[in-house]
Amino acid sequence: MVDKQGEGARGQPATSAWSVPTGRRTDEWSQCVVRIAEHRDRAAFAKFFSHFAPLIKAFALSGSSLSAAHADELVQEVMLKVWQKAAGFNPEKAAASTWVYTIARNCRTDMFRRLQKFDTQLEAEDIGFELEGDEPTMALHASRGAVRVRELMSDLPQDQAQILAKVYMEGKSHSETAAELGLPLGTVKSRVRLAIQKLQVFMDAGWEE
Amino acid sequence: MVKHHPDTNTLLEFAASALPAAQSVVVSTHLQFCSECRQRLSQLESLGATMFEDAEPVDINPSLFDNVLARLDEVQEDRAANDANASPMSWTVKQIRKGNLDELQWKKVTRSLRIADLGDIDGAAEFSLYHIAEGGRIPQHNHSGTEMTLVLQGGFSDETGSYHAGDFITREAGDIHAPTALPGGDCICLAVLESPLRFTHWHHRWLSPLLQLRAG
Repeated sequence: MVDKQGEGARGQPATSAWSVPTGRRTDEWSQCVVRIAEHRDRAAFAKFFSHFAPLIKAFALSGSSLSAAHADELVQEVMLKVWQKAAGFNPEKAAASTWVYTIARNCRTDMFRRLQKFDTQLEAEDIGFELEGDEPTMALHASRGAVRVRELMSDLPQDQAQILAKVYMEGKSHSETAAELGLPLGTVKSRVRLAIQKLQVFMDAGWEE
Repeated sequence: MVKHHPDTNTLLEFAASALPAAQSVVVSTHLQFCSECRQRLSQLESLGATMFEDAEPVDINPSLFDNVLARLDEVQEDRAANDANASPMSWTVKQIRKGNLDELQWKKVTRSLRIADLGDIDGAAEFSLYHIAEGGRIPQHNHSGTEMTLVLQGGFSDETGSYHAGDFITREAGDIHAPTALPGGDCICLAVLESPLRFTHWHHRWLSPLLQLRAG
């Protein structure tokens, strides 16, 4: 489907919120991670920390899902992983913000599991999926695209935005979201689908629902 | 070519890490087969990242940065070196990912059906592999909950159509079907039947015991 996009068969790729990568990322956070990876650059790490640590803490505290102490622990875990995994960051595949988001998401899931003392010992890395090889992605790439997605998100009706926030920021399933909001599960599901359609996340026709 | 995919809701829950472990394993195994869903996943992850970046920052105690700095030189725990300590479920998931299905414990159920029970995992009442001999048939059955199935090898057909390697199929509670392995080889599927408690997964068990009663 990457080819389809290349042909420009579906609308106007130039204005699409999602675009095929055109080259190496040059945004400042991606450059930071590259410097951390290549030079073990502590100044770059400090800069990255000062921007992202407060966001990771906000993510940890979303929906009051973790205590303040656990949120601090999560910030430390995520930032240590940033230092350790920087060499695996590929600026051609993902934005640094997406990369650190997936690390924070995985660490938080693992922390939930530890706190719940589940019998099943599985870590997010066992379950997750990381793109490998040279596969191009249609991840949100150009900063123009990110701006457009923000516009579209701010235009979403509140009832859809609220549900996306619960799922992404609080890590809640649709069932949990439905229970908390006192809505039928089907309503939650359809609002999510409507929101995603509006956000143009799905560019391909023929996606089976 | 994979024709049947997880729906938008399922993939978004996966992208947000909001899907229970068992269902996540089935989705991530589908992703190994399906570049289309890999693309969708990366889009959905960037959407999550956009929300993450736009969160209202929360002040960090400056000592936290010093703590992290002090730990930067710690030797990184190498997960690969830790394989010996991997949990049984972690090992099992790895074998499925690698396609080392003979390593698992299979039990013969009928002449044409073998099942490997993959053990307890959160989100699942049953988490197992089915091996249906070419042309063999699973007796007609229905489900007490939603069942997700991923075809790993070969293919099967039922009342709704034919499915091949990589196809991801969701059956709702009450759907009745009798899958038959297609000609041309044995069929192996990974299947997870949701636990009746799926409704109350970690947050709820912790935050609100009352919701469990409502779920029941």
